[in-house]
Amino acid sequence: MEKKLVLKNEISEISKLAAFIEELGEELDLTPDLVFNLNLVLEEAVSNVILYAYPKGEQQEISLSANVSDNNLVFVLTDSGKEFDPTQAPDADITLSAEERQIGGLGIFLIRQIMNQIEYQRIDGKNVLTLGKQLN
Amino acid sequence: MEVKILEQNDEKVVVIEGRVDTVTAPELEMKVSPIWATPAITLVFDCEKLEYLSSSGLRIILSAHKQVTAKGGKFILRNLTNEVRSVIDLTGFSRILTIQ
Repeated sequence: MEKKLVLKNEISEISKLAAFIEELGEELDLTPDLVFNLNLVLEEAVSNVILYAYPKGEQQEISLSANVSDNNLVFVLTDSGKEFDPTQAPDADITLSAEERQIGGLGIFLIRQIMNQIEYQRIDGKNVLTLGKQLN
Repeated sequence: MEVKILEQNDEKVVVIEGRVDTVTAPELEMKVSPIWATPAITLVFDCEKLEYLSSSGLRIILSAHKQVTAKGGKFILRNLTNEVRSVIDLTGFSRILTIQ
């Protein structure tokens, strides 16, 4: 199974992403919990690209593919924006008290918690982020 | 997303329905930030009909907690669905927030 989505680098495109994941959930008969978590992960990854990868006002595309083989669901997110490796971003420290907790850093933390595979590559001037989840 | 703000038994209750994501979170913040500036307030987020919450929503929850408690008030998350509760647990927020 392969499914593809192309988004513009506009924040309103996040709604299309949600619909894409809902459809995928129905096709693969995923639990509502997993659909929720995958939505969370992909929203983090895609909104990072939309907000930071391209100069303001420059229209670009972001492509997302979903593949399933051997019970492994793999998303590949590709953009031609500036080089950014989200796997190098520091995690939020979740052991701190509320007063010490920082507002940011949660996105990459959630991706690491939910997914089994996170790989970044820079290929031909493109950021390629691979996110895998083992299905039970 | 729909947001209703109610006054109930000395509490300000923010009823959040639908999805809080990167697109809708700024609207939620705009609606609740004037409230969290009030000293010694009890601010409640009623999440019974909250279907989805991304990290942009989690940031608002943390901001609300910080702002309200810094001014001597109380911040409460109420009626979480299982899915929203599991994200709150995953991020360690359940240890620092009051959940009913």
